[in-house]
Amino acid sequence: MTRFFAQILAALVVLTAFPALAQPVDTGHLVAELVARDATVTPGATTYVALRQKIDKGWHTYWRNSGDSGEATRIVWTLPPGWTAGDIVWATPQRQPTGPLMNYGYHDEVLLPVAITVPASAKPGETVTLKAAAAFLVCEEICVPEDAVLTLTLTVADGLAQPDPTWGAAIAKALADAPGPAGLTGVFAKQGASVALAVTGAALKGVDLSEAYFFPFDSSILDHAKPQPIERGPDGLTLTLTPGYAFQEGAGPKAMSGVLSLGDKAYEISADVGALPAGASGLGPPPKSSGGDGGSLSLPLAAAFAFLGGLILNLMPCVFPILAMKAASLAGHAHDRRAAQAQGLAFLAGVLATFLALAGALIAIRAGGTAVGWGFQLQSPPVVAGLALLMLAVALNLSGVFEVGTSLQGAGSGLASRQGLAGAFFTGTLAVVVAAPCTAPFMAPALGWALTQSAPAALAIFLALGLGFAAPFALAAFVPGLLARLPKPGPWMDGFKKLMAFPMYGTAAWLVWVLTIQAGNTALARVFAAAVVLALAAWLLGVAQRRHAEGGKPLVLTGLGAALSIAAIAAAVWPSYGGPQVASTQPAKGGAPTVPYEAYSPEKVAAAQAAGKPVFVNFTAAWCVTCQVNEKVAFATQGVADAFKETGAVYLKADWTLKDAVIAAELAKHGRAGVPLYLVYGAKGGDGVILPQILTEGLVVRALKDAQTR
Amino acid sequence: MTSAYKLALAATVSLGLATSAVAAPVLGQPAPGFTAKDGDGKTRSLAEFKGKTVVLEWTNGGCPYVKKHYDSANMQGLQKSATQDGVVWLTLISSAPGKQGYVAPGEAKTWKASTGAGSTALLLDPAGQVGKIYDAKTTPHLYVVDKAGTLVYLGGIDDKPVADPASLKGAKNHVVAALADVKAGRAVSTPASKPYGCSIKYAE
Repeated sequence: MTRFFAQILAALVVLTAFPALAQPVDTGHLVAELVARDATVTPGATTYVALRQKIDKGWHTYWRNSGDSGEATRIVWTLPPGWTAGDIVWATPQRQPTGPLMNYGYHDEVLLPVAITVPASAKPGETVTLKAAAAFLVCEEICVPEDAVLTLTLTVADGLAQPDPTWGAAIAKALADAPGPAGLTGVFAKQGASVALAVTGAALKGVDLSEAYFFPFDSSILDHAKPQPIERGPDGLTLTLTPGYAFQEGAGPKAMSGVLSLGDKAYEISADVGALPAGASGLGPPPKSSGGDGGSLSLPLAAAFAFLGGLILNLMPCVFPILAMKAASLAGHAHDRRAAQAQGLAFLAGVLATFLALAGALIAIRAGGTAVGWGFQLQSPPVVAGLALLMLAVALNLSGVFEVGTSLQGAGSGLASRQGLAGAFFTGTLAVVVAAPCTAPFMAPALGWALTQSAPAALAIFLALGLGFAAPFALAAFVPGLLARLPKPGPWMDGFKKLMAFPMYGTAAWLVWVLTIQAGNTALARVFAAAVVLALAAWLLGVAQRRHAEGGKPLVLTGLGAALSIAAIAAAVWPSYGGPQVASTQPAKGGAPTVPYEAYSPEKVAAAQAAGKPVFVNFTAAWCVTCQVNEKVAFATQGVADAFKETGAVYLKADWTLKDAVIAAELAKHGRAGVPLYLVYGAKGGDGVILPQILTEGLVVRALKDAQTR
Repeated sequence: MTSAYKLALAATVSLGLATSAVAAPVLGQPAPGFTAKDGDGKTRSLAEFKGKTVVLEWTNGGCPYVKKHYDSANMQGLQKSATQDGVVWLTLISSAPGKQGYVAPGEAKTWKASTGAGSTALLLDPAGQVGKIYDAKTTPHLYVVDKAGTLVYLGGIDDKPVADPASLKGAKNHVVAALADVKAGRAVSTPASKPYGCSIKYAE
């Protein structure tokens, strides 16, 4: 009987332990209630109780600083003797613009936790009732002051506090999300009509600052409705604020405090008047994040763009030699569908693996804090020299000087062998490496977006790009109709292959030109010497292969060829190259009209705009073939030269042939990961207009004339 | 007048308005001039009260913070004692048509009579031009201009930024203090405070 009684009692305790007495009150435009983090509380401990506001749709309540109007929620507690309540732990507010005004507050639902200290004298088993008179202004267009007297019953128990099954997790999360100090240093200074607030610290390094916003605790500090332009620095950020009336009195405030929100995270900061630290600025505004205005993309859309961009990349000028290789390779197995399909898949695998490897490297380098973008590998002279030799080797191979992985007799028939598959994979790799300096339409916004995203999202974009790039070749291998249309293999193929060698020689020559721009004329002698040695090595290997085919054992020849080729590549790659000898003077080639230009800097853009001149900025690189084609097709024309003269436009070139943090930042600001990028700034100020990546004479002329009046 | 000339004039006028709307009024500087229509449809201007101390009061009859001061007759009492002292008290309504608190020209006299207001004039600012020139944010929001035309006070009516009428007791009224300072020829001791109340219902 006593046992039965004890069970009933235990059940009662469990029932009462549940904060059943939290009666919600509908005050008209919201439902208010007190909710507890802990189902039972421990004597001498601190627990949290929250005021929950479930706010009607379209209505809102206010933060501790309500902004231009409104009033913060207040709570007056009536507690049993010995119990004390702390201040409200305010969640990061939302901005609520109304007409020309700005308010700070909450909509939908908010938890406002308050620390409650349980006295050590509280007796386990007792239940206590907390009473809170809550008053709040609820506004839609109109405002209604509402209030409610709310109660909550807590059970005191020994041992660890038990989390409340309904609200425990939510209140714990509200407390964790609430902005707290993070060791950030704040300094502010009046600068003309504005106030610059610089915040530095570890929590601001390497994070997305595009949503940064300062919510001041004191409503007199700022003009809340004004935008807060963001400037990044290596150690933090600087916000340009519009001062409130507090700055009209005497020397103005000596300190300010508030919440710095980054969108997903927020920190409490306090700032003193002082000299602004250098590390809080200098890197320009943050790149636009997704969800921002204008060029915002979603992952599926960005992936679709990347796929399209990849497809179009096949048609871009720098990929032509690779197209040639693909064509030769595909024509080689047109007679054998299964072999062709295996080749297609191997090529696809090669393309995807290389794209992902490049993307991984790019993400890793950026995570390390270096501003690099698409085509970054070509900013390194040893890589360019190495690639030039590789192109030469491929060209020599196509010319028939030596063979890769096939016997002479088997050329064109034994390609479905394992070596043939490796060859297709290698072709895919090579295609990506050479295609990297080109960005195609659609691809640029997708890549720009990818580099501001998390690593998995960025990799997904590169994957889509690779799929698009490999799609024509891989599909051709699988669609019977297409394959059948290709000419039948025969002796003509040998001639075709040798013809295709010449685009490769051209690519090698182009890479050497890029190298001279990066590393000066002395590099020319070195890379040519390496090229001659490599050609000799290739010939020796070819001779050895022929002897082998005749049944000989040309060990010495093979060894010599291999050694020479290794020496050639080593000499091209190491030791490191010097810089360009002369700052590349303007190539005044006879006949072609040229437009005088200056090296780009953001200050020059501002200065020209201040002088009422339009500005054309050409973000280019020697290794970017699309850029070079545009230079020839659009810029080296009489029409463009005349248009520059007529409009008085300033022509600035941002040369990204070598690494440059300022240019990388500017590209990122416009949502781009690489060149080309063409920006036209209007004569009357304002932001630049982005031109398409493929330019024509007429397009540039129109853009300049338009900028003159803009 | 050619239409091109008209257009240029209109552009100049609207540009002028736009720039003055951006610059917030500054303490110790001349108070920005303005014109607005009163209940009789007559155009009134700040300039016509030159040489007098002027109080500008933004209001909205439906706002709980305004009601705190009007339902308790606190505001009307202030207006009467100030105007008896030779002060010009201009009450402004900047609610846009269709917005809460909008008062049509025909209803202005009724509004003034029903509240028993003791102000010199009720001015209608449906386009929000005067409100934006003064950077007025809330109802109530008050400004004091001294006899020399200098802006000497801006902010809330008192130091109790709540809607509860009980808060009137013991509140320090900043406008009363500012008017006393101006009358005595002293510098205003509290020249700025937090304006509190409902947002002004400007056109979007």
